[in-house]
Amino acid sequence: MPSAIEARDIRVIREGRTIVDGASLVVSFGEKIAIAGASGSGKSTFLRAMATLIPIDGGHVLLDGVDAIMLPPTVFRTRVAYLPQAPPMLPGSVADNVAAGPALRGETLAPERQIELLRAVGLDEAFLARSAAELSGGERQRVALARALANDPKVLLLDEPTAALDPETALQVIDLVRNLAIAGRSVVMVTHIAAHAEALAGKRYVFHAGKLFAGAERP
Amino acid sequence: MSYLEIPLPRLAMTLGLVALAILASRWKRLDLERDLAWGALRGAVQLLAIGHVLLLLFEHERPAWVALALSVMVGVAAATSARRVEHGPSARTLFPYALAAIVLGSVVALAPVFLFVVPLHPSYEARYLVPISGMMIASAMNVVALVFERIFAAAHAHADEIEQLLALGATPEQALARHVRASVRAAMIPTINGLLTVGLVALPGMMTGQIVSGTAPEQAVRYQIVILYQLVAVAAVSGVLAGGFARRLLFTPRAQLRLPQRARNEKKR
Repeated sequence: MPSAIEARDIRVIREGRTIVDGASLVVSFGEKIAIAGASGSGKSTFLRAMATLIPIDGGHVLLDGVDAIMLPPTVFRTRVAYLPQAPPMLPGSVADNVAAGPALRGETLAPERQIELLRAVGLDEAFLARSAAELSGGERQRVALARALANDPKVLLLDEPTAALDPETALQVIDLVRNLAIAGRSVVMVTHIAAHAEALAGKRYVFHAGKLFAGAERP
Repeated sequence: MSYLEIPLPRLAMTLGLVALAILASRWKRLDLERDLAWGALRGAVQLLAIGHVLLLLFEHERPAWVALALSVMVGVAAATSARRVEHGPSARTLFPYALAAIVLGSVVALAPVFLFVVPLHPSYEARYLVPISGMMIASAMNVVALVFERIFAAAHAHADEIEQLLALGATPEQALARHVRASVRAAMIPTINGLLTVGLVALPGMMTGQIVSGTAPEQAVRYQIVILYQLVAVAAVSGVLAGGFARRLLFTPRAQLRLPQRARNEKKR
């Protein structure tokens, strides 16, 4: 059985500097993976490379065993969700944000489904009419997660989803992410906070000097 | 034609107006004396030179010469609009795109007019072709520079949002649509304002010139209407093209946002 998503020998070089130096990662269906690493170790760049959001200088990203190069970017990205550290809100209401992914494909997201998605991330339907611009950091993170889930992705790539949150909200978000994995989605979460990596309760990796190592400790 | 000629000594007298501006600058410490002096000198030299070039062109009206004059004009316009883009890629990268946007916008506005509205005999009649093309090219130059600068600056300022849209499955067109629209609109507004205020605020240069040199105001006005409509077409076509080109420059073939090098360097500082 092919993996849900696989990064094979990814290499990213920028302005002569090797940022990701041959990193590989195999993620099975429903698997949770936490990647730790100091800032500047290349872990975020690696995640962006897995999301096909940046050009890579070597290696392959495989989705369901198929090279990402063979898939239209729009198709790959609806199946693989990526959330940056502070996901920007799009102009408009929370409802506009949650429905953004399907809207890009000319589909409308039924109001019941919008409410369902909001509940899945721990928000109630009263949020739908609110302006996305006035949400708090934790609410933004949740709305961004709901927005990503509206595409029904098979894989979630999360870059420091808890970094900007207070400890309590952070653990709630991780709980949420763990539940998403139980529903069969694969999750790769980058975090520099060891406790949050542990809380995800999945496989652990460490990014160090552009390379990925299995285990919780820096080699 | 009946008009008052300006002998050179009297032309020189108008330098007093520049001197007045320089005095004001010195008095109020605007620090513009040098710019004013250099600008006045350079403007005069360029205009005197083009006066002679036009004279030569009219006397030896050959397709090759007219084509050369138009080529120089679009070349300078494209180089200028490519150079003035602070947040974009290098002027060298932008030049061919600026050139295409300016040439296509100008041709769309000029061709139908010179074919059907003011038919030229011969088709390369410099007296009409050069000045009217010049107006279109200059307008296209400004529109292209504005659209480029605004889109590249917006991509820089909203990189996170654009990338998040891509991550949600947007095409580059969709991810940038909001900013392309705003940029092209902004670049077209001066032209539209021109349409709305013409005759009320200022009498346009071409019309003024024709009237001063003896053309019946009624005909001068008709020429001006043609010019205004042409300018609208130039702004729309060159603006939309520049928007499309900027978008092509901002994304890789794999739909990844590629911020121009110049902007990235700025960010580091």
